[in-house]
Amino acid sequence: MAKELTLSGCAAAAQAIKMAKVDVICSYPIRPYTAVMMELAKMVNDGELDAEFVHGEGEHAQLAVVYGASAAGARVFTGSAGVGVTYAFENYSPISGGRLPVQMMIADRALDPPGDFGSEHTDAMSARDQGWIMGWAETPQEAFDNHLINYRVGEDRRVMLPQFVCQDGYFVSHIAAKVKLPDQAQVDEFLPEYDPGDHVLDPKKPCSHGPQIRPDQGAIMDLQRGEAFLALPPVIEEVIDDYNRIMGRSYSPWVEEFMADDAEIGFFLMGAHTATARHAVRHLRDQGVKAGLVKLRFVRPWPSQQVAEALSKFKAVGVIETSTSYGGSMRGGNLLAEVRASLYDLPRRPLTTSFMAGLGGDVIPLQEFYWMAQKLADAVKAGKVEKPVYWAGLEH
Amino acid sequence: MFDIPKDRAVPFGCVTPAPDTEQPMMITGNWREYRPVIDQEKCNLCMNCVAFCPDACWQLDGAEEEVVWNAKYCKGCLVCVNECSTEALSKAYELDFPDGVVRLEKPF
Repeated sequence: MAKELTLSGCAAAAQAIKMAKVDVICSYPIRPYTAVMMELAKMVNDGELDAEFVHGEGEHAQLAVVYGASAAGARVFTGSAGVGVTYAFENYSPISGGRLPVQMMIADRALDPPGDFGSEHTDAMSARDQGWIMGWAETPQEAFDNHLINYRVGEDRRVMLPQFVCQDGYFVSHIAAKVKLPDQAQVDEFLPEYDPGDHVLDPKKPCSHGPQIRPDQGAIMDLQRGEAFLALPPVIEEVIDDYNRIMGRSYSPWVEEFMADDAEIGFFLMGAHTATARHAVRHLRDQGVKAGLVKLRFVRPWPSQQVAEALSKFKAVGVIETSTSYGGSMRGGNLLAEVRASLYDLPRRPLTTSFMAGLGGDVIPLQEFYWMAQKLADAVKAGKVEKPVYWAGLEH
Repeated sequence: MFDIPKDRAVPFGCVTPAPDTEQPMMITGNWREYRPVIDQEKCNLCMNCVAFCPDACWQLDGAEEEVVWNAKYCKGCLVCVNECSTEALSKAYELDFPDGVVRLEKPF
């Protein structure tokens, strides 16, 4: 029977992985993601999940193990956080180039400067151009759902791509919330067994995975992945429609709007801080400020058209950057560059700026959202933004 | 629609049928700057080149009388020249050969 439990993001993810009946799991400890492996290890030990549980020697080995297992036709799961995500970096592109639907959970952790346990999206965002699907969850519920949705999308024969399923460390991974779990029968209806087709290691049909190619074939490999990403949006929409129908959810595939319809100023963000931003928007509404927000669900593929449509309703938009791109075109984060590119072809564009916030695991308190809202209101009044980036809480 | 030249096509996910002795779909010896040249008079078939070549480009010929070089996969690393026990192998500049790979419009 469908049931409701109180689960952290890691525990919710583990429930999804169990219900997806994965064949091979490869772990290596690093907090905060490790809690998912603790849960899965217990499930395998207790006979609740029939999976091969492999301890990798490190994150690079983790990805190598699931790379091979996926090539052999297994449904696989691995995960990491922070510097673990960057240590495994070499294997990301071969896995997407090999068109293997590996799933990796990332519970964000700041990269070492020299040591920080807090959540920041830079770890995962650094890998956004490796040909993997990528998106964030705001709650343990959304984390649970995203794992199942991503397996189905990634394993679709029209797609065959690996997936980074991300959730903020601590804010989602370690704070428990109510999670509605479907019946196993519902999951089985939604997510069929993985069928690798001919794309599988088989001693009866020997083949080579990942051979050397010539430089003049490299562009063609890239085009293969490029075409897969072009084919992705309708598949994601179809899969999420199916998920909503079978599980009784109401996800919008690309962006989720909150009080956006008559709003003048808006926040654009993804992941855990969206929860605080909703409260800030409600309080701002109580004060008579026409505020709203738009939450992003997928960074790859980036939904340019949907972002443009959602943000064109606002007069000014503040992009909350929870990752860093030092020296980039926006002088701070990553998302504003993508947002501005998405808006470029609109006849009337909203004013846009960005706020570096929630970095290194810092919370974004309500006061900081009010301060950002004031900057946006000032921009509307002046008809222009003062600058492309503010460091929230660190300047006036 | 994209127009992919046949000779540059890559199979899905770059998964190729397993090669028997060579991988004809992925010929990679097109970037060497030097190539090894053998003086068969000096060669005593010690097999160092066969053992050390990282791309298996040195093999005994069918009659097992001499070692032969496979140009299609040689990257010009010259490990063989270094390991040759009788100085039968020496390096030569690729551009000095009429079939030098860097000269070719298309590799092989």
